[in-house]
Amino acid sequence: MKLKVAVVGISLILLFLAAGLALQEETIKIGFFAPLTGFAAADGMSALRGAQIAVDFINEAGGINGKKIELIYYDDACKADEAAAIARKLIERDKVVIGISGSYSTPTRAAAAIFQEAGVPMISAYAIHPSIILTGELIFRVGLGAPVEGIAGAVLAVEKLGAQRIAILTMDNDFGVALSEWFKRKIEEINSKRVEAGMAAKQVEIVYEKRYPLGETEFRELLTAIKAKEPELIWATAYFHEAANIVSQARELGIEVPIIGQEGYDSPKFIELGGPATEGTIIVTDLNRDSDREIVRRFLEEYEKRTGIPADMVGASAFDAVQVAAYAIKVGGTEAEAIAEAINGIKDFEEAVTGPFYYFKDREAVRPVEIQIVKGGEFHYFMTFTDPEVITPPAL
Amino acid sequence: MLIWQNLVYALVLGSTYALMVIGLTMIYGILKILHIAHAGIYTLGAYVGLFILLHLSDNFWVALPLAMLASGLAGVLIYRGMYYYMLTKPRIIPLISSIGLFIALQELYRLVAGPYQKAFPAKFSFLSIKTEYLIVTSKQMLIIVLTAVFLLALYFIINRTKLGLGWQACSQDIEMAGAMGVNVNRVVALNFFIGSALAGAAGVLMALYRNSVYPTMGAVVAYKAFVVVVLGGFGSVTGGVVAGLLLALVETMLGSLEWFEFPRDAIAFLVLIFTLMFRPKGLFGR
Repeated sequence: MKLKVAVVGISLILLFLAAGLALQEETIKIGFFAPLTGFAAADGMSALRGAQIAVDFINEAGGINGKKIELIYYDDACKADEAAAIARKLIERDKVVIGISGSYSTPTRAAAAIFQEAGVPMISAYAIHPSIILTGELIFRVGLGAPVEGIAGAVLAVEKLGAQRIAILTMDNDFGVALSEWFKRKIEEINSKRVEAGMAAKQVEIVYEKRYPLGETEFRELLTAIKAKEPELIWATAYFHEAANIVSQARELGIEVPIIGQEGYDSPKFIELGGPATEGTIIVTDLNRDSDREIVRRFLEEYEKRTGIPADMVGASAFDAVQVAAYAIKVGGTEAEAIAEAINGIKDFEEAVTGPFYYFKDREAVRPVEIQIVKGGEFHYFMTFTDPEVITPPAL
Repeated sequence: MLIWQNLVYALVLGSTYALMVIGLTMIYGILKILHIAHAGIYTLGAYVGLFILLHLSDNFWVALPLAMLASGLAGVLIYRGMYYYMLTKPRIIPLISSIGLFIALQELYRLVAGPYQKAFPAKFSFLSIKTEYLIVTSKQMLIIVLTAVFLLALYFIINRTKLGLGWQACSQDIEMAGAMGVNVNRVVALNFFIGSALAGAAGVLMALYRNSVYPTMGAVVAYKAFVVVVLGGFGSVTGGVVAGLLLALVETMLGSLEWFEFPRDAIAFLVLIFTLMFRPKGLFGR
């Protein structure tokens, strides 16, 4: 009698456990990593929040084919070795269907190699380095890549703003160097065209160029040397902390020419740390805060509601990465090849905040490049590039 | 005019190094301890200053003295709570403890205040120069003038007061000084207080100058201050101040050259290596 009770009892417990496990497996696991501590923490937290908003929006609308998404995330402190370890954890232990990098280029490169080798797709939300998507057929990027960003910057500086004497300050890491390299390449191309058209006198001159290390906070002697060269425009690649110092110190020195930044500046922290000196800074990015597209307004409102601060490109890109991942899983299922095919087949994807994504070329999203300007202590619309010559990623 | 402008930057930077090095070299002079956690006090000064600005008064002249006071007290706490028990142990024990404390302090700041860089919203007005050839902003003027005031006050204390006399005695021979009736404990505690208060001041001034406070802001200062101590000569305050200005000058001048792409922070390391190789006593060392 006691034995029968025990057998029935244990069977019931096992049944409940099995049911519980079965119910648990009803979620689709998406892996995510971002710098939640360290110098990049502001961006990492923003990316995480953007991703979480997308997950919540999707789950509220019923999930993917009835199943909820579960975002499994870790902090990589913006270090390559951490990101690599996290990639292994997500793949082997958490068994994610797809990974999303909410981190910078250096950690993302490291993780991409691991994901590709393990046969799990990965989307880079905003890390720009070209070599990331060259890692393999399963690695994608929804954010701007360095080539397009640099090219758009050059077209902006030379053709829209009409500068002929340009000073370049390059942050000495994957991000900063890649951006400046493509900026300069486009300038060379523009110069060649001008010479061919008989306008050799209109060539653009790089009057100053110097690299500085990531984390530098003192730019005054560099800027004084730049001021002496009398440029018409400064192209400075930086993350928000360096950018805040570059811009505020430049203005303090009496440099009044336009300073062109890139997505690294795209953070409320840039404006907070740089203060009133940030007025008029123009950046190449992909988030248009003044857009009247519905998905943008929904995202911006929800982000500010949750955090109390305005959203930035990083948060928007992470949001879009989740959107694309969810779409691909909905259309293709959970097999890696099918997901990759689904992403490659995307056409006119409207549900992206930094979109619409017209299509994917060589696993990179092609869409408008937004130029924003700081006005009244906030980023606002300046212009948009939709010209295919500017926004199409060049062959690498 | 480029030279003069760069000289201004070098003076500002050198002032920070000087303020940091004073505490370090005095503590080494008396206790023969390498007080790495000193840079943690630098960061503490900045955070306390920020806290005061955000919650008490946005007047810089309120934040600065209070931050200095807090830093001074923290320094005494470190001495009385940690180094005091290690004075007779091998030198490596206080060294490792100091490193551990510094790391712990950085993590503490991160846990309490968050990992983000925060702006430093201080209100103040000060003299400034703005001519076609030279610009000295009020912040730069403030740092230079304040540091000069502190250094003068320190000179006065070291050379004209009983406390200063006790200091000099202790740094020459601490046992003899004690035997001669100098209250060694008090001298050392005051030593820590003043040195740490100056480090806290440096933190506040740099937070103002760069408009940012963040947990790891002391990391670079930590090792640079040591380079300055070595260059100036262990235990020599004059040497430290001169070395600080010299290092700042070299960094600024090399940084202003377009072709010089060596990271500025690495220059300090080079200086350290050369000093240890060719003149390990430092410029003014004994």
